[in-house]
Amino acid sequence: MSSPPSGAAASGSPAPRRAEPEVAGRVPSAHSWSTHLRATLVLLLLSILVTGLAYPVVVTEIAQVINPYGANGSLLYFPNGTVAGSALVAQNTDAPYLFWERPSLTDYNTTLGTDTPPGPSDPALVNETLSYMAQYGYYTVNASVPFWLVSASGSSVDPDLTPEAVLVQIPRVATNTNLTEANLTAFVNAHIVSPVLPFVGVAYVDVLELDLDLLPMIGR
Amino acid sequence: MIDLRSLWDIVAVLGLALAAAPFFGDYLARVYTNRPAFGDVVLAPIERGIYRLLGTSPRKSMPAREYMVALLLVNAGAWLFMFWYFFDQSTLPLNPTGAPNMSWDLAFHSASSFITNTDFTHFTNESQISAGAIMIAWQLALFISPATGLAVGAAMVRGFIRRDGTVGNFYVDVVRSLTRVLLPIAFVGALIMVMMGVPETFDWTVIAHPITGGTQVLYLGPVASYQSISLLGTNGGGWYSANMVSPLANPSAVSNLFGIFIMLLIPISSPFAFGRMVRRKGEEWPFVGTILIVLVVAIALFIVYQEATNPALASLTGLVQTNGYPVGSEVRFSLPEGATFQVVSVYANVGANNLMIGAVSPVAQLVLLFGMFTQSTPGGDGTGFGMLLLFAVLAIFVGGLMVGRTPEYLGKKIETSQVRWAALALLSHPASILIPFVVAVVGGQVPIDASTVGASSHNFTAVLYEFTSESANNGSALSTAAFNDATPFFNITGALVMLVGRYVPIFAMLKVGEIFARQRTLPAGPGTLRTASGTFTIYLTLFLIIVTTLLFLPVIAMGPLAQIL
Repeated sequence: MSSPPSGAAASGSPAPRRAEPEVAGRVPSAHSWSTHLRATLVLLLLSILVTGLAYPVVVTEIAQVINPYGANGSLLYFPNGTVAGSALVAQNTDAPYLFWERPSLTDYNTTLGTDTPPGPSDPALVNETLSYMAQYGYYTVNASVPFWLVSASGSSVDPDLTPEAVLVQIPRVATNTNLTEANLTAFVNAHIVSPVLPFVGVAYVDVLELDLDLLPMIGR
Repeated sequence: MIDLRSLWDIVAVLGLALAAAPFFGDYLARVYTNRPAFGDVVLAPIERGIYRLLGTSPRKSMPAREYMVALLLVNAGAWLFMFWYFFDQSTLPLNPTGAPNMSWDLAFHSASSFITNTDFTHFTNESQISAGAIMIAWQLALFISPATGLAVGAAMVRGFIRRDGTVGNFYVDVVRSLTRVLLPIAFVGALIMVMMGVPETFDWTVIAHPITGGTQVLYLGPVASYQSISLLGTNGGGWYSANMVSPLANPSAVSNLFGIFIMLLIPISSPFAFGRMVRRKGEEWPFVGTILIVLVVAIALFIVYQEATNPALASLTGLVQTNGYPVGSEVRFSLPEGATFQVVSVYANVGANNLMIGAVSPVAQLVLLFGMFTQSTPGGDGTGFGMLLLFAVLAIFVGGLMVGRTPEYLGKKIETSQVRWAALALLSHPASILIPFVVAVVGGQVPIDASTVGASSHNFTAVLYEFTSESANNGSALSTAAFNDATPFFNITGALVMLVGRYVPIFAMLKVGEIFARQRTLPAGPGTLRTASGTFTIYLTLFLIIVTTLLFLPVIAMGPLAQIL
């Protein structure tokens, strides 16, 4: 084992500007092969115990105390106590009397993970957008429709919509319920989540929460 | 036009990361030079106990060859553990979703992907990997691979402050990376993410009953603890296959900003750690400057091209294209927030996504590709800075030749031997992208049809992106509907590309560090290039951009450029 020799640089006088290395030849290894194997095995064993078990278990124990609602998936319930869904996961709400979510490439089936929508110059994008516009009832109406309402989200379960994309649905919901458009507008406006700070995030509406609040108003 | 107010928060979060960097960099320097550091009272005795169990000690320092052997042993051990778990996951603990065993080639790809800090996945998390395989096996790699990267970065920098021909002790470096950096910060990060609404539970699935009937399975689990180390360790794997697009993993604009911060923390602090380790004033700034220039330009380009309305859809009457480009994006992030997360994620070689890269504009895709070509602005934990240091070594060598002086850096001479290793690391990157890429295209592994340039160049870009992401150990994916990468061909070639892309540059970094560590430190002479200067910062930035562009121009022309034109 070579110990660092005391060089000229350390003695205070300027070292000669030479190129030859301080260390010539092969520096021997500091550990034997058996030490390497032992160190590897012990290190991995300890790491598995700490990173794979202790770490998630301790975080979970604390999480269940500091934010049980979020830690358990932000679940939303029906009045009778059954789980309706998660505020963070979109579901199929295509009944005529409900506000609709963004389209999903996986039909809101979370077991499928997600999928990629067509690229911007892919001809398939035009057809896909057209079919969403038809599906959401804007193909023949020729009314203006926000792109957010008729485009596939990244996660396939984006639970949110821009306020405009919710407000544009009000005529349909009003036709299929006993509520007036004015009432529904006030109802939607009350559900707009404002940004935490004016420049953080955007204003949006969580559609599942909106629909769950709508159910008692329309007697369902 | 972009509402300029919406840029304030990304300026704030980038500024916050930059403000924390000198302090955190100083802490990192203390950690990797065994100087007194915060936490010694508790952690020092624990570490001494671990060293005794391992049979090593901080006083035992290794030459590059032995450091590499130790690194490969630990990485191979973790690789074997993961391979076994994935290959046998249906019978191993914690399989609430009934995931079947992975095929050997998929397990080969996955284990290689995770240990190389890539976390490129060829499976659907929700149905093809068990919760135990994620939490126990994959999560081990989420810690071991950034610890390995940090160790390599530190070992390389030690070359400038040592004269005994050794680069440090790998086991000590990994243990201290875990106890001092990754575990404590990931722990705090996980709790912060829990407060922001990310699930953290051992109730694996909840059956929901949607309003319109039927059932919906909600997958939960210890997501926050996983996602926290995934981002901090520049891994980029997702608990969900939608990764950080998933509203459960990334519930709000605030959690998105936190993600940007935690991804940048270690990479942006590394130059400062370097400056403190070599104990010279101002030497960190050329690197910080280069990183910031490239990163900010990339973010700006990405935002501008995402903001533009899509002309292909202009013919659809009634379609209102405002508030950004929604296809493949999520409502809750403003356009600059989504873009910044995505660019930072790819440029820091994390690879997590918060929008679908296959759906963004070709220019934006090119911006992401460029970050994976450089791998160093700022690049992944430890290795990203190591790569930037290799660029600097080459830049100084070339600069020295141009003015006719012997190139030296921080009092150490740069000679052919270091340049040869640096060139190997740089050239292995395009080589390990282009060779499998050509094999895949010529071998008909991807549908390329000359009659449809639009869709074909998109597929072309997807394959190029795949191998680039794997070679850079990035992990982001540009998937298209027509391109299926979950085949034995892409599993095997992809795994080999990731292994080459990880361990060849690592060995080069260790060798360069060792060659420096064998030299005495020379005092600065009259002809020495002043590296702590604005001139050198601009020179390094231009050198990096020009070299990278030249290396990859042929490839870019065929994929993304064909799509743009």
